[in-house]
Amino acid sequence: MQLADGALPIGSAAHSFGLETLVVEEKLNADSLPRFLRDYLQETGVVEAAFCRAAHRPAGPGWTALNQQLSARKPAPESRAASLTLGRRFLQLFLSLENAADPGGEAHYATAFGYVSRLLRIDEDLSAAVYLQQTVNALVSACQRLMPLGQQRAARLLWELKPAILEAARASDVAEPDAVSAFTPLVEIASMRHVALGTRLFIS
Amino acid sequence: MQHPDGRLSLQFEYDARSARTLLHVAEQRQPLKVVRAFHVEGAALAHVHNLSGGVLAGDRLSLHMEIGPRARAQVTSTGATRLYRSRPEAGPAAMTAHVNVGEGALLEYLPDALIPFAGSRFQQNTVVNLEDSAGLFWWETVAPGREARGEIFSYSELQLRFDLRAAGIPVAAERAHLDPPVRPLESPGRLGPYRYFSSFFICYTGTGESTWRELEKQLQELAGKLSSRVIIWGLGRLPAHGLVVRALSQNGRDIHGGLVAFWRVAKRALYGQDAVIPRKVY
Repeated sequence: MQLADGALPIGSAAHSFGLETLVVEEKLNADSLPRFLRDYLQETGVVEAAFCRAAHRPAGPGWTALNQQLSARKPAPESRAASLTLGRRFLQLFLSLENAADPGGEAHYATAFGYVSRLLRIDEDLSAAVYLQQTVNALVSACQRLMPLGQQRAARLLWELKPAILEAARASDVAEPDAVSAFTPLVEIASMRHVALGTRLFIS
Repeated sequence: MQHPDGRLSLQFEYDARSARTLLHVAEQRQPLKVVRAFHVEGAALAHVHNLSGGVLAGDRLSLHMEIGPRARAQVTSTGATRLYRSRPEAGPAAMTAHVNVGEGALLEYLPDALIPFAGSRFQQNTVVNLEDSAGLFWWETVAPGREARGEIFSYSELQLRFDLRAAGIPVAAERAHLDPPVRPLESPGRLGPYRYFSSFFICYTGTGESTWRELEKQLQELAGKLSSRVIIWGLGRLPAHGLVVRALSQNGRDIHGGLVAFWRVAKRALYGQDAVIPRKVY
């Protein structure tokens, strides 16, 4: 619970993963946000959760290969860097709390979460669902700063997204995470264009 | 019904005596066919042609291209690739492409758009490997369908898998599964208000960081200039060895010109040469 809390000091509140551009360019607002998040879970969410699961499993493509595969799935540099930064900070925080082995090298947030969950003997299905829950929490939190989205409406949105989170977690239970598909070009281009925004609240 | 098992295997080899790249057709089985190579400033230009006029339901097509050391190849299509309606019993049509760009070689792969007709089902699986000092300009554009007939996202299924590796290490991996009846493409999580999408990979293994930084700056400026109310361009550095340019557009007119503009700037920056547009009717 503590490691999945949005208040964990790893810097997740500084990232919007392209949502800031979508809002500034008027392609996303409070009314379209529920649909956006459901589709985001169906695409990116399933991919991220599949890599989280792969890192949870002791057998697999190996830590370095797994993170290289996930980097190759992220064409937008800011979002890729954000995922790597959060992953490394998450691992460092955990290693400062527990006497555990650092897998070394680059670590995405999803793979770091899966790796830590395995060490803590947290069930794989639960780990994938919790990872997605905290991802959506972070995105909704970013949206509260980007658009007129009050606390009550945000809480309702998160509550109503639970079936989509569980469905994405179920869909991510695959043998090969690299085979999972995702099609989110508008979000990717928004993340690529984020660097050119005149005023930015978020790093990504 | 017997479905064609079309194959095309092309080998581009650098000939030191003539200082030209020569094309050898190792295998050619209908409906895929290559139009003989033209020589353009030391490179071999080849047009890949589908004699069926498009990809029919149940087709199994494969393309293999080997760009030998120091060879320079430019490959394009003779026109848009039409993906015809699929009958349920035929299964999806499939196209696989395996490409290796050898040491010091360059491949410019510049096809026309894919047009998935209503009811079409298509799977495309592409693997590109780059060796040391290998260059790549590779673009691909997907249309929403036959717009003039009112077919917008009326296809049944489109799976596009693309792997780009440098010395075996993945630098780009795309796994798009477009299923418009189930996953609406108009969602802000997918295409939003746009209908066409395009990706352009620009790679040159072993190129120094300062070159990429300068090129990225130039292309970012170009992306800003070319973006408008109807088209947006984005640009990102790959994890290594290159850049990817993405475009989303409400129409097909602006994408090709934009791709050529990016290609021109990148070719000049990386190779000190002008980009020569393939000779054909656009």
